[in-house]
Amino acid sequence: MAFANAFYNSIARRNSVFVSSIFASAFAFSIGFDVATTSFWDSWNKGKQWKDIRHKYVEQ
Amino acid sequence: MSAAAPLRPLARHSINLPPTVAARASGAPLAPKLNLHARPHGSEHHGHAHSGPRHDVAPRWAGGLSLNNGALRSKTFVNAAPTIPSHRTLHTSAVVSSDANSVPDFSAYKAKSSSSNRALSYFVVGSAGVLSASSAKSTVVDLLTSMSASADVLALAKIEVEMATIPEGKNVIVKWRGKPVFIRHRTADEIEEARGVEIKSLRDPESDEARTKKPEWLVMLGVCTHLGCVPIGESGDYGGWFCPCHGSHYDISGRIRKGPAPLNLEVPEHDFNEADGKIIIG
Repeated sequence: MAFANAFYNSIARRNSVFVSSIFASAFAFSIGFDVATTSFWDSWNKGKQWKDIRHKYVEQ
Repeated sequence: MSAAAPLRPLARHSINLPPTVAARASGAPLAPKLNLHARPHGSEHHGHAHSGPRHDVAPRWAGGLSLNNGALRSKTFVNAAPTIPSHRTLHTSAVVSSDANSVPDFSAYKAKSSSSNRALSYFVVGSAGVLSASSAKSTVVDLLTSMSASADVLALAKIEVEMATIPEGKNVIVKWRGKPVFIRHRTADEIEEARGVEIKSLRDPESDEARTKKPEWLVMLGVCTHLGCVPIGESGDYGGWFCPCHGSHYDISGRIRKGPAPLNLEVPEHDFNEADGKIIIG
């Protein structure tokens, strides 16, 4: 109840704040989604990608 | 009954009954096979003889008085009320309860708190906005990414030239995207000469500082701006390049000084990799 009122009063009451927070959250969400899916991809394909086997072939 | 039976008068009755038509659910009477375009007899033949029955007299089968074996017989047809099955749906036969007209009790379905309900509505709308804005952004980004050149094309579009292999005061011609590129390692005297020219007197006014990223390295396309010949290096009246096709003279900064060419030699996009000592063209 208190959380709902805080959400409404701080974000949803003014449309300008509402829309800008939507865009800001969309920006954060897309970055987070990319990070999450990329880390999942890397863990799923662990040991198959070039960055995993690079140390076997390139010596620096 | 013999032929000598006396005549027995019989009464004839006319009864008006409501028509036996079925009705649609909307109340419109249902009259199948009723032809509204039929015309009465004689109306279109101007009184000529017609073989059909008279239209203003009821036919014999429809009833009336008749003489049969010396006895008058009256026939009367009665149209009885139709026994057409009609729809009786469930709700028409429901037992009407006493509180049928009162509003039911919806309190079990109502939200417990109107403020949290309102916040939930805004949250759902906002979440939909977040998802759609994010997907729209990634759609646009993916579309623009698909338009740009891929990595293999970009790799082929660049060349690298070792700076250490070009001594001072020497020209090198390399091929880049099918065109010759002049690279000159200029001496200090040549730099001074190129920078000392009065820019306003030039046909295509361009300063030497704008044409070179590092003053000792001049990189430009070896295509004459007149008709596309390849100029010859270290020749011409200005100590730069000379186009043998129509006699355009370029100075030590590759600027047009004399002849038919309208523009200076073009400087391609290039960069210097100091760590590896390379010029990267492209």
